[in-house]
Amino acid sequence: MAKTILVVDDSASLRQVVSIALKGAGYDIIEACDGKDALGKLNGQKIHLIISDVNMPNMDGITFVTEAKKKAEYKFTPVIMLTTEAGEDKKQAGQAAGAKAWVVKPFQPAQMLTAVSKLVLP
Amino acid sequence: MNLDEALKTFIIESGELLEQMEAALLRIEQDPDDPDIINDIFRAAHTIKGSAGLFGLDYIVSFTHVAESVLDRVRSGELHIDGDLAALLLESADHIGTLVGHTAKGEEPNTESADLSIAIMERLGAYLGNKEKKTEGKKGEEKKAGVPAELDHKIGKEGGSAVESDNWHISLRFGKDVLRNGMDPLSFIRYLATLGRIVHIVTLIDSIPPLKEMDAETCYLGFEIAFNSAADKSTIEGVFEFVRDDCQIRILPPNSKIGEYLALIQDLPEEDMRLGEILVLCGTLTQCELEKMLQQQQESGAPVKIGEALVEQHIVQAPVVEAALQKQKQVKETKTSESSLIRVDAAKLDQLINLVGELIIAGAGASLAALRSGQADLIESTATLSRMVEEVRDSALSLRMVQIGATFNKFQRVVRDVSKELGKDIRLEISGAETELDKTVVEKIGDPLTHLVRNSMDHGIESAEVRLARGKPAQGTLKLNAYHDSGSIVIEVSDDGGGLNKDKILAKAIERGLVKPEQQLSDAEIYNLIFEAGFSTADAVSNLSGRGVGMDVVRRNIQALRGTVDIESEMGKGATMRIRLPLTLAIIDGFLVGVGNAAYVVPLDMVLECIEMSDAERNATANAERGYLNLRGEVLPYLRLRDMFEVEGTPPRRENVVVVQYAGQKAGLVVDKLMGEFQTVIKPLGKVFGGVRGIGGFTILGSGEVALILDVQRLVHQLGNREQKMITAGQ
Repeated sequence: MAKTILVVDDSASLRQVVSIALKGAGYDIIEACDGKDALGKLNGQKIHLIISDVNMPNMDGITFVTEAKKKAEYKFTPVIMLTTEAGEDKKQAGQAAGAKAWVVKPFQPAQMLTAVSKLVLP
Repeated sequence: MNLDEALKTFIIESGELLEQMEAALLRIEQDPDDPDIINDIFRAAHTIKGSAGLFGLDYIVSFTHVAESVLDRVRSGELHIDGDLAALLLESADHIGTLVGHTAKGEEPNTESADLSIAIMERLGAYLGNKEKKTEGKKGEEKKAGVPAELDHKIGKEGGSAVESDNWHISLRFGKDVLRNGMDPLSFIRYLATLGRIVHIVTLIDSIPPLKEMDAETCYLGFEIAFNSAADKSTIEGVFEFVRDDCQIRILPPNSKIGEYLALIQDLPEEDMRLGEILVLCGTLTQCELEKMLQQQQESGAPVKIGEALVEQHIVQAPVVEAALQKQKQVKETKTSESSLIRVDAAKLDQLINLVGELIIAGAGASLAALRSGQADLIESTATLSRMVEEVRDSALSLRMVQIGATFNKFQRVVRDVSKELGKDIRLEISGAETELDKTVVEKIGDPLTHLVRNSMDHGIESAEVRLARGKPAQGTLKLNAYHDSGSIVIEVSDDGGGLNKDKILAKAIERGLVKPEQQLSDAEIYNLIFEAGFSTADAVSNLSGRGVGMDVVRRNIQALRGTVDIESEMGKGATMRIRLPLTLAIIDGFLVGVGNAAYVVPLDMVLECIEMSDAERNATANAERGYLNLRGEVLPYLRLRDMFEVEGTPPRRENVVVVQYAGQKAGLVVDKLMGEFQTVIKPLGKVFGGVRGIGGFTILGSGEVALILDVQRLVHQLGNREQKMITAGQ
């Protein structure tokens, strides 16, 4: 069974490109447009990996990850956070929230695929 | 979904973000310290940069990067936005728009834009001071900084002879928290295996405490791995990039010096001798080499501390590899930009769809003839043919399908302009933007939708004072939503305003003579009165709406698309206008039923199930035109098509009921026989038949006969009305 990845970013085009790249590699993708939306999708279904942007409207990525980690089913779900090189302070906050994997924006789809496969192979 | 579509999304999205950025920049002049506004501006630039990077649009990335850096300084309070900076940022936003425009046209920026990029970047650079330049340079330095040159030498000198094994040796000691952080040690090792061959792996369980003290969430494992791979050191290191901070990782390249292994062993927490044995077990060291090493250790006396820097060794190769990768990437990028969109004249598409329509009819004819002939192989090949035709139909139709997102996004501007005009603070929320529908429908829905949006903003959402008084947030919210629902697409315009005032509407309708005072109307019927010509309850006629022209036009436009519009409203909480449209205008999957000699088509996506009418139910309602059935405990109103269309003859002994659903309402259609699925090209009825109730069009069957397509929504509606009236009359 294909592994499921939740992609959270407020940019629809980014989500699409990431989806195309990851679906092509054999993952199932669930998209969410912000932290709040994403939290709603964590409804008990099995999610093998979460990819989340930091800076988003409604609920930012750090809050989202903190909340997600409070849910028993997603406590051990690996998280890749997307950030800019300018986000060093955010990175620390994210580390504290339990997001250890970071990918710097802008990235190439192949880079994302590499990062994902380090954590979860399709 | 493919990359081209994603690029289109990017272009639309960038436009939208730039509009937001522009609006925020205009707002910031009044409120220069509002962190939310600053964050909005920053996020817009940030998102555009991030997405542009995905598409390899370097000219956008590099330009936006500078603007983003300036904004980051503003965000962190190092810089203050004044009139000049705001103007410059506005100019930057415009320029990003121009650059995205180039992308939209599928071209590289011309020299004029490129020069402008440089000019604006220079001016932005003035706000950065030296900071940005430093980070630019840092990337290059960072990589070299890790390994002081002398250390390399030192290892070389003191290391002694090289070991024989040509495998990499990787020592891993995972941190206690890796599992809690969602990192599975196994996944890294699995990924490592994709880069080469794991020759040997030894799992170290030394640090696992007794069962009683063990915490199931803590990771106690370590691994020693002999790894055969052509990958370079930074790639192998990259495997563990996400756990680097928490874990002890040592990577020794093939043929490393014995001294390095010695250092490794001393560096790791386990006992030296045991580690040495493991290395031998891994095949990294031979027994002989181990002995030599231990000897060396005794000779030197003091342990050699090499530390973290060792890992950085051989990094010098990285730039070479990166250059090669860069080159590969460029080749790939030119490839993707070549296969771009093809613009086709819409008329050609229409013609194709018409032809496909004819093909379906012809195909149905062939299938029928084959069935009659009874030749098995002919039947089989016509079946294959119909399936192919079906696929051709679907892909031809999908050519016309576009996402509604583009249409929705135009409303960002409308909402902003109108809220300014009205002096209200209204936010637009869009969902279901990826819902697809026919392009002709998309084109025609824009106007009615604009009308509904304006209407909701003007009449629906109250002024800030009233909202606050009613305990709502001062900012009003308008939502646009689209989704598919049993073969139709539904577009919703909802607001969190005051809702429709039933009494006011009714009073007005009576005043205008649209209804009689003694008439009993359901809520839905009352709401629908606002779609009558010349109806307006607005107290003040504003520039935008309220003159009573419009809502009737809205309904006419939607009906012209074979759609419906209805309203749901709750006093004080808001209203939702729901437009329901057919997915396509030309071809449907139909379900063929027969009554007497006549054939009727029910759109298949509205059919829920078919049941046989039991004798008891038949006898109970034999003479009634309409009645109710018991569908597994549910009340199902039904219509007898034989009576409805006055078909002559007596009904057969067994009658069937087709259960249909439209807009959440179920109804049964009683027919003589069920004839199965069937592809149908909708042909419009002539004007003469325009008034016939319950018929939406006709189609030609394979046999050349004509079948009437039932207007299920009208039929269901009729049944629903009857029910409502009975209920209201009962009260």
